[in-house]
Amino acid sequence: MFIVDPFFWEVVISGLLAGVMYSLVALGFVLIFKASGIFNFAQGVLALFAALTLVGFQTGQVPFAHLVNTIFGTNIHHWGDGLHTLIAIGFTLVVMIGLAWVIVRVVLKNLVNQEGIILFMATIGLAYVLEGLGDVMWGADVKPLDVGLPSGPSDTVIDMTGMFVEKLEISAAVVAIILVVALTIFSQYTKMGRALRAVADDHQAALSVGIALETIWWIVWSVAGLVALVAGIMWGAKSGVQFSLSLIALKALPVLMLGGFTSIPGAIIGGLIIGVGEKVFEIYFGPLLGGATENWFAYMLAMVFLLFRPQGLFGEKIIERV
Amino acid sequence: MNAFVRSDQAAPEDGIKAGEVMLRVENVSLAFGGVRAITDVSFDILKGEIRAIIGPNGAGKTSMLNVINGFYHPQEGEIWFRGVKRSNMKPHQIAHQGIARTFQNIALFKGMSTLDNIMTGRLTMMRRNMLWQALWTGPAEAEEIRHREFVERIIDFLEIQHIRKMPVGRLPYGLQKRVELGRALAAEPQLLLLDEPMAGMNLEEKEDMSRFILDVNSQFGTTIALIEHDMSVVMDLSDRVVVLDYGKKIGDGTPDEVCRDQTVIDAYLGVSHD
Repeated sequence: MFIVDPFFWEVVISGLLAGVMYSLVALGFVLIFKASGIFNFAQGVLALFAALTLVGFQTGQVPFAHLVNTIFGTNIHHWGDGLHTLIAIGFTLVVMIGLAWVIVRVVLKNLVNQEGIILFMATIGLAYVLEGLGDVMWGADVKPLDVGLPSGPSDTVIDMTGMFVEKLEISAAVVAIILVVALTIFSQYTKMGRALRAVADDHQAALSVGIALETIWWIVWSVAGLVALVAGIMWGAKSGVQFSLSLIALKALPVLMLGGFTSIPGAIIGGLIIGVGEKVFEIYFGPLLGGATENWFAYMLAMVFLLFRPQGLFGEKIIERV
Repeated sequence: MNAFVRSDQAAPEDGIKAGEVMLRVENVSLAFGGVRAITDVSFDILKGEIRAIIGPNGAGKTSMLNVINGFYHPQEGEIWFRGVKRSNMKPHQIAHQGIARTFQNIALFKGMSTLDNIMTGRLTMMRRNMLWQALWTGPAEAEEIRHREFVERIIDFLEIQHIRKMPVGRLPYGLQKRVELGRALAAEPQLLLLDEPMAGMNLEEKEDMSRFILDVNSQFGTTIALIEHDMSVVMDLSDRVVVLDYGKKIGDGTPDEVCRDQTVIDAYLGVSHD
């Protein structure tokens, strides 16, 4: 029986922990979708940008150094030894909040009362702009990110159960739990929640009852920036800060289809299901299908869900009047 | 009969008495690119009256309402509200000044319940700002209960108790219009703007809505400006009427005066302009 096989449980646990990483990215999507009705294609790039900025501050890189050197023939690259990790995280957060303000001012402000699909297109544009900006500011090379999180296999777990579990992934799970609790309280148990839902539902009506649309958007994009920073730190610590990080946004899509675009717990559970499903399927059925099932399993699962439950596991029921 | 009394947090009255000018529109012109929507229009709205804005399709009525509540900023002209000239304000600031409105095509929060929709109307009345509420829910909770009471009274007044918990997206058109009126009333507005409150309603629904509008006006002294197509409704409800045609004002006076005015009759029946 595979239920008693410790190897099976090792697979499940590593799947759960990988799922947490997907959930972290999906969370950013859900936040913005709930609060502004925008499907933010740039969320993955936002995580990349946050991680790049953090590494930049941490190692004391001069932003736009390459550009400046090319234009003025100088040779600058670092301004010092860099900042302490916690201070660097603080500065990065300030940058993300500033970025949110710029996004609202430059992009969203001009698109009030437009269709969701137009706002979606705008975020695709935003994704490319941010990717380019990150490249020009901090360079395109793969950078290691070390924020002092424990890494390597956990000895305690090995001693107790004989299973091999990454410490980093355990920290990711802890961080995700803290984040989810905080966000749920923020968006569901405060009066802010009603204003957020109002903005997501109808811009014009929200304005007419006295909701300051731009302020709400700024707050929401700042929080999404914070979530992006956390996701960026976790992914960066795991596999280095590299531009392929922006592609993890694609893995968040099936997670959202499973969990529903409007549910914070849904994003978490969806991530876990995909994480576990992917690993278990790869180990037990992968060999029969020639391997590499991790590349497509999540999307297939999402498609099956779309057929039977288009609003996702926890999404709001779709009401349609003809 | 008092369906509900004004709460203690109503916006200050500024000492404007009934019959004095509440809002004055002076020589307002509005253009979209080369298209002139409103040309040099002036009129006033007195405190306590029901003022109708009528005119054929495309006359600029809704544009006028959008100017008053700040969705559009006119290129020329001035707007005075409660004796103060208004500079270009954002719609949410104008809502905080005490102007509430409904929309021609109903702009409700469709996924939310009737109760929640009307509660959003109380946002301008909430003392603690939203960030404060996000951080500390204690005092905000007590405030929420007070607002909830007021909203329940509005629900009673509009006779929509049976749909309190229903998502408004599922309600029939006539009821949605009523919920939208409720949301506007929840803000305890000084000036209430209604954009075709009876469009698409059957006779019975129209009579109900007329009754609500008259009650709001007489019981709370709310000043109302409304756009309406149905002339019999306009005659019954309004104290004074302003008539627009092709963005220009062509008539202003009591319903009787306006109805006898030859220019107005021509605009409605259509004559060759030569």
